[in-house]
Amino acid sequence: MDTFAVVAVIGLALAFDFVNGFHDAANSIATVVSTRVLSPRLAVVWAAVFNFIAFLVFGTVVAATIATGVVDPDVLSIGVVFSGLVGAIGWNLTTFFLGLPTSSSHALVGGIAGAAVAKGGFDVLISSGLRKIGVFIVLSPLLGLTLAMVLTIGLMWAVHRYRNVDRLNRGFRVGQLFSAAAFSLGHGGNDAQKTMGVILAVLISSGHLPTGSDVPLWVVLSAHMAIGLGTLTGGWRIVKTMGSKITRLEPVGGMAAESAAAATLFFTSHAGIPVSTTHTITGAIVGVGATRRLSAVRWGVAGTVVWAWILTIPGAWLIATATYAIVGPLG
Amino acid sequence: MDRRALFLLGAAVVCAVLIPVTESEHQWVPIAMSIAYALLAMASWADARGRDRIDS
Repeated sequence: MDTFAVVAVIGLALAFDFVNGFHDAANSIATVVSTRVLSPRLAVVWAAVFNFIAFLVFGTVVAATIATGVVDPDVLSIGVVFSGLVGAIGWNLTTFFLGLPTSSSHALVGGIAGAAVAKGGFDVLISSGLRKIGVFIVLSPLLGLTLAMVLTIGLMWAVHRYRNVDRLNRGFRVGQLFSAAAFSLGHGGNDAQKTMGVILAVLISSGHLPTGSDVPLWVVLSAHMAIGLGTLTGGWRIVKTMGSKITRLEPVGGMAAESAAAATLFFTSHAGIPVSTTHTITGAIVGVGATRRLSAVRWGVAGTVVWAWILTIPGAWLIATATYAIVGPLG
Repeated sequence: MDRRALFLLGAAVVCAVLIPVTESEHQWVPIAMSIAYALLAMASWADARGRDRIDS
């Protein structure tokens, strides 16, 4: 297979990873910035560093799920992976302009599945892998929500007799440094692995690696570097908007939301389940809001997340199918 | 019944519905979440009831 095509698709996969870091950085640092624990610039560096070092903490099980657990690996070709990536990127750009909180992970799964079905029919889909991903599309925000509620209630109960509020807030601000770092670690771990999975699929389908190979170290490092650089490059521009949207969170709430989302990402990364980091942190923030009263929750945001659940996989699927109709005959 | 308790009960039902379709290795997740949401719904209901009594 043409080495140039392999390099081009790997480049496209890393570009997808870079944009993911660029776009999702705000999720992990918005609360730290809005509570003035760190300046926007320092917060972005903080997140990027933990995005990058995530490769030291997590394995590559999520990458294996993307490479071999969504569609039959035999059907994967350069054309299928390219079309899948175009489907995911195309859908992300469409929803960016529509203002929907899209999930890059679900778009990637939808794109790869759509292109593979266009090539080999519905028999190429691996039902157990898709079922696992589908179930956790719903469960991951709900898991973030429950953990955030329980954590917020527990923290409030633990400190409710404490009268020195200023000192308490200082303590929670320091805690936010660690919770934001943990969330960035989980974000880097789960999201960078999706790119690793795509690159692994390309290398196996092009014959550069035998079937069943582990992810090479250079792939691990380049995927983490791409997401870290994306965070470093674009994060601070987006955080100005995101930070102002979440100013109603107190340090205790910010810490609880980030810790809950981080715990969810740690678990799913360990279990090899690709989930949406955006939906997970949204669920956790809703959980913190719901401990006060239900009207404290921005249900408009929660509603758009549900729309994103419903539309993302079919949307990316359609774009990938159309792309494969054009590039399929080339390989 | 207060709206928050209803919301939490709804989440418990969603998690319960997902139990049979979750692969056996991870079935404990929706089971645990369903129980947690049901407990949170009860706590929320008790909290709302307590507040109503104080107000009246």
